[in-house]
Amino acid sequence: MIGQDILMVLTILMFLSATGYFVYRMLPIFRVMQQARSTNRLDNWPKRLSFMLGQVFGHRRLLRIRLSGILHFFIFSGFVILLIDIVSAIGQVFDPHLVLDAPLAFVVDLWALLVLVGIALAVYQRAVLKPERYHGSDERDGYIILAMIAVIMIGIYLHESFYPFAAPYLFHVHAALNPWGFVSYAMGHLWIQMGLAHNAAVAETGYILGYLLDIGMVFAFMAYLPTSKHLHIFLAVPSIFLHKTRPYGELVPPMQKEDESMAIRTFRDMNWKDILDLFTCTECGRCQAVCPAHAAGQPLSPKMVILELRDALRKELGGGEPVPLAGGAVSAEELWSCTTCGACQEACPVFIEHVPKIAGLRAALLEDGEVDKNSQKVLVGWDRQGNSFGQPQRKRPAWTKVLDVPIKDARKEPVDWLWFVGDFASYDPRLQELSRLVAQILERAGIDFGILYEGESNAGNEALRMGEFGLFETLAQKNLKWLEKAEYNQIFTTDPHSFNALRNEYRKFGFEKPIRHYTQAFLDLIEQGRLSPSPLGIRVTYHDPCYLGRWNRVFDAPRQLLEKMGVELVEMPRHGANSFCCGAGGGRIWMEEVGIKERPADNRIREALTLDAVNYFVVACPKDMSMFSAAVQSTGSEDRIKVVDVAELLAQAVGLSVPESAVAMK
Amino acid sequence: MRIAVLMKSVPDLVEDIALDEDSGQVLFDEMTYVPSEWDDQALEEALLIKEESGAEVTAVTVDTGDSDNILFTALAKGADHAVKLVGDYDPSLTNRRRAQIFADYLRDQAFDLVLSGVQAIDDIDGQVPGLVAGIMGWPHASVVTEVHSKDKGVVLRQEYAGGLVAEIEASTPLVIGIQAARKPPRYASIAKVRQVAKTQQIEEVEAESPDVPTLAVRRFYKPVASGHAEMIDGDVEEVASRIIEILQERNLLRR
Amino acid sequence: MGPILMVMENGEAGFTDSSKELVAKARELADTLGTSSVAVGFGPDAESHLRHLPVDRGIAVSNPELSQYNPLAYEKALSKILEDNQPFLTLIPNTTMGMDLGAGVAARRSLPLVAYCSELTVEGRDVVATSQVFAGKLMAEIALPESGAVITVVPGAWSIDTGSGDPEVSVTSVEISQAMNILQTIEPEKGDVDITKADILISVGRGIESPDNLPMAEELAEAIGGVVSCSRPVVDAGWLPKARQVGKSGQTVKPKLYMAFGISGAPEHQQGMRDADLIIAVNTDENASIMDIAHYGTTVDMLELMPALTERLRGE
Repeated sequence: MIGQDILMVLTILMFLSATGYFVYRMLPIFRVMQQARSTNRLDNWPKRLSFMLGQVFGHRRLLRIRLSGILHFFIFSGFVILLIDIVSAIGQVFDPHLVLDAPLAFVVDLWALLVLVGIALAVYQRAVLKPERYHGSDERDGYIILAMIAVIMIGIYLHESFYPFAAPYLFHVHAALNPWGFVSYAMGHLWIQMGLAHNAAVAETGYILGYLLDIGMVFAFMAYLPTSKHLHIFLAVPSIFLHKTRPYGELVPPMQKEDESMAIRTFRDMNWKDILDLFTCTECGRCQAVCPAHAAGQPLSPKMVILELRDALRKELGGGEPVPLAGGAVSAEELWSCTTCGACQEACPVFIEHVPKIAGLRAALLEDGEVDKNSQKVLVGWDRQGNSFGQPQRKRPAWTKVLDVPIKDARKEPVDWLWFVGDFASYDPRLQELSRLVAQILERAGIDFGILYEGESNAGNEALRMGEFGLFETLAQKNLKWLEKAEYNQIFTTDPHSFNALRNEYRKFGFEKPIRHYTQAFLDLIEQGRLSPSPLGIRVTYHDPCYLGRWNRVFDAPRQLLEKMGVELVEMPRHGANSFCCGAGGGRIWMEEVGIKERPADNRIREALTLDAVNYFVVACPKDMSMFSAAVQSTGSEDRIKVVDVAELLAQAVGLSVPESAVAMK
Repeated sequence: MRIAVLMKSVPDLVEDIALDEDSGQVLFDEMTYVPSEWDDQALEEALLIKEESGAEVTAVTVDTGDSDNILFTALAKGADHAVKLVGDYDPSLTNRRRAQIFADYLRDQAFDLVLSGVQAIDDIDGQVPGLVAGIMGWPHASVVTEVHSKDKGVVLRQEYAGGLVAEIEASTPLVIGIQAARKPPRYASIAKVRQVAKTQQIEEVEAESPDVPTLAVRRFYKPVASGHAEMIDGDVEEVASRIIEILQERNLLRR
Repeated sequence: MGPILMVMENGEAGFTDSSKELVAKARELADTLGTSSVAVGFGPDAESHLRHLPVDRGIAVSNPELSQYNPLAYEKALSKILEDNQPFLTLIPNTTMGMDLGAGVAARRSLPLVAYCSELTVEGRDVVATSQVFAGKLMAEIALPESGAVITVVPGAWSIDTGSGDPEVSVTSVEISQAMNILQTIEPEKGDVDITKADILISVGRGIESPDNLPMAEELAEAIGGVVSCSRPVVDAGWLPKARQVGKSGQTVKPKLYMAFGISGAPEHQQGMRDADLIIAVNTDENASIMDIAHYGTTVDMLELMPALTERLRGE
């Protein structure tokens, strides 16, 4: 009787102290969340719920790295099963008659085994495979956690296997080994053979030891969690439920107060989900593994940004003097290295949003006047001339001059399609030829289209991503002046960056006109029979632009378009949502390349070169044309691969003469 | 140390200069204006002095209709005060008159140091700091690239042809024409400028229009393309080939 | 009418070229207008230098300290000379000294200032000055008032008079204020190359966009057997050392070939390179000032042209 009482008291004490400590450690975090900015993450909850279930039980993202996903599934499912064991083990102490039914006992034993296998694989992964993505993570924490879980599993087997022998003494009930609990059954028989089973002291000790290793360790685990990456056990599921749904490509939500800035200076300037993100991070490094800046050898790792912020917050909560977040906790070099390609967010199994935090921290740097001097010129150019080239506004439509048929001025007459051209396609002499080709394709298809001439300014996508919200707003207002006045049915653009801004960022000004990327629009035209391409019969690979693919989920249209042109598409290993950034986004195209070991665009071209008999690298973004043409040169692969724009291919397929000076022909 | 930075805007040279070729007049009202880049350099140097050894920086403009943005930007970058000298002035205001207006204001203020851009592109006598100093009878130095506060005065660097530099010790009060600051001018984000515009005040000071020596400009004209280059047309490859030909003709190639 | 006065700047050996360029023009004006030409020099050697100049009269301010330029001392001395001599025109080279003295003296003497003057002519009763404004994009034609003016003259505007004369030179000295002292003179870092000695210069300006593109220029320079020079913005951005800068505050060069890539050609830059034998300018703006003094020009993208040239030079 005394043994049971001690166990009961001990269990209650352990429970109280562990939960008490857990709450004590968690409360400050929740207080910070309360003080942070608001964000609505509870809209459309049924959809969120089903999405969450798919991610949690389907392990969709985790399984992208096979071994890692499988071993996580073993351990994760073990935790679900563990709940059964906790209930039964604790229940037994309080009511000895509680015994697991046969199938449940089988499940518990089987899963404990799977968890142990998972742990073995995890150790193998950490110690032998040593993926680079773990660089910078707390490896010790990882091993401690794995050891704790292993101990719990051993504890389960131990107390189960000694229970029938200890029960008569401890609980004054009789119990037998349950063959369904096959591992503990086998162990029980081992104890009998070893003569340990019928020694009261040994049986009691074995049971209590097993119980403490199991339940005691569970409580110890709970107390350990708040200072460990394994807090994700509690936070990952809610974090996935609370994932961002408002247009994914929208970086900054509408400001809630008039003077609100996007700059993140303190933790109060983040929203509460941002704070949650910091403690949800599992340090798995999947973001780091896909980050183009990290791959280029730059000082950025999205994982470290999160961890550095988390550590800074922990220090603050521990009474430490707050450090500046931008340029302090996270260095300016890290922040300016980001291309805002979004690969990190796409890879994160717990749906952490890295890019808005980086942009917010950049905004703080910018407010202090700290910005790369090259990009400062670009910001000034946008402000004064509305373009990144520092060219006069009046020269924006200069590329149209040599066209046979003049393009309509959408400011003066109604058009069906309003073409938003963008800076690069308007001003870059190398790309103007391409713009003229697009105009000819539209004419061929009989589209009634127009442009805004000098009335168009840069859309502001990059200004916003450089942290210059005010400039973005100024540019947006300039464009909206005409976008709202002009008469048209839909917007058309070749530029994914403009596409993203007009589609996702201008919503905060109440602008919601339909917009099509040229790959979508051209596909429509072919399907409507307005363009009839003849097969080109070439083998190509296609590069998904970040702002078309990842941020706007347009993956199929370009591929279908290629198919309609009789083009055989060979995918690069990294394609679709896992596409690898060209390195230009987020203002990077204008910044100094300091400490870059391999440019992302060069890395990408080398990836394309591994494909068998692929001679064309198809792009669907003016910046890509610029970046990859340079990369083909710098990797010296002019003889092996040509960068072509999808519009050039279409022009050829519909029999337009593609000028010598067009990029493809070089 | 109290520093005044004299600032102005000039026509944006990225755009064409609005010139009525018949009358030979520059159409000042038809151009877009940007802050004079040398003045930006002067402000930056003033802010660097402030950061290095403490100073109170006041940005001063003559209101020709577009001063507010310049002044709020200066405040956003870290200037302590902004002063706008108001009167019936428009963008065609000559620098000589501007200098006189500045000087009339500065005379009554206890500034130790007056910085401004070494020159401005928009006038026949764009060297505002020298004019201001001459009017006030203060010592001055132009084409300066570095100023440090030292003891009761400053140590500055003046640049000469050939990259020669003199380090000069000068006592205050002093007027300095800045050619370039030690560091490229900092950025003022639009949000910051807007925020400053809401929270900080520009001090307005009435300034009378003084009489100054004037020049009668007969006409402005575009430089005659007497020596305009012979343009080589074509795409990059054609141009490159033609250039090589020219160099060969003139025996400028090694082989 | 008062005399035509010119201010001579001290160089390494005697007066600088840009001040000697003033002499013939001053004499021509003086002859036409029926007045005299007066040259002002500073420092203990000024007297002997002035004695050989083909001018009517010389004034030497002989304080030993003034062999080196001192903004305050020069300005005070010159103001006094202007007060005593009441010249019609005061010509000063548009150098650092000219920028200091021109504005300062004009304001002190209540005279108008004409900066960046590139020509002075007599038309009937008027003396007409031509001045570069808007960074050389426009010229202004000014009829000078009878009360006179202070004029700073763009170096290279006129040619040097090689003749000599025997003017009477009056020697004077001034009290030197301690409000401004030269602590030291710093020679420019010589750097690895001397761009003034190079036959071929590949010169880059703002159009280079980023330091990442500099290797392109270096490669071209290597292929053509020249060296890379630049305009002021490139030095200000810290991308190339000061020793590579061509222009008013940099080096004056006279190579056989000067290729200007992405340089708009502000007057300050032109001062340093206009005498090159052959100038080829690459600039997206066909109307950039550099095109006015270049022999050949093109508007193609310099970042594409440079490698294309390099390739051809290496291939040959």
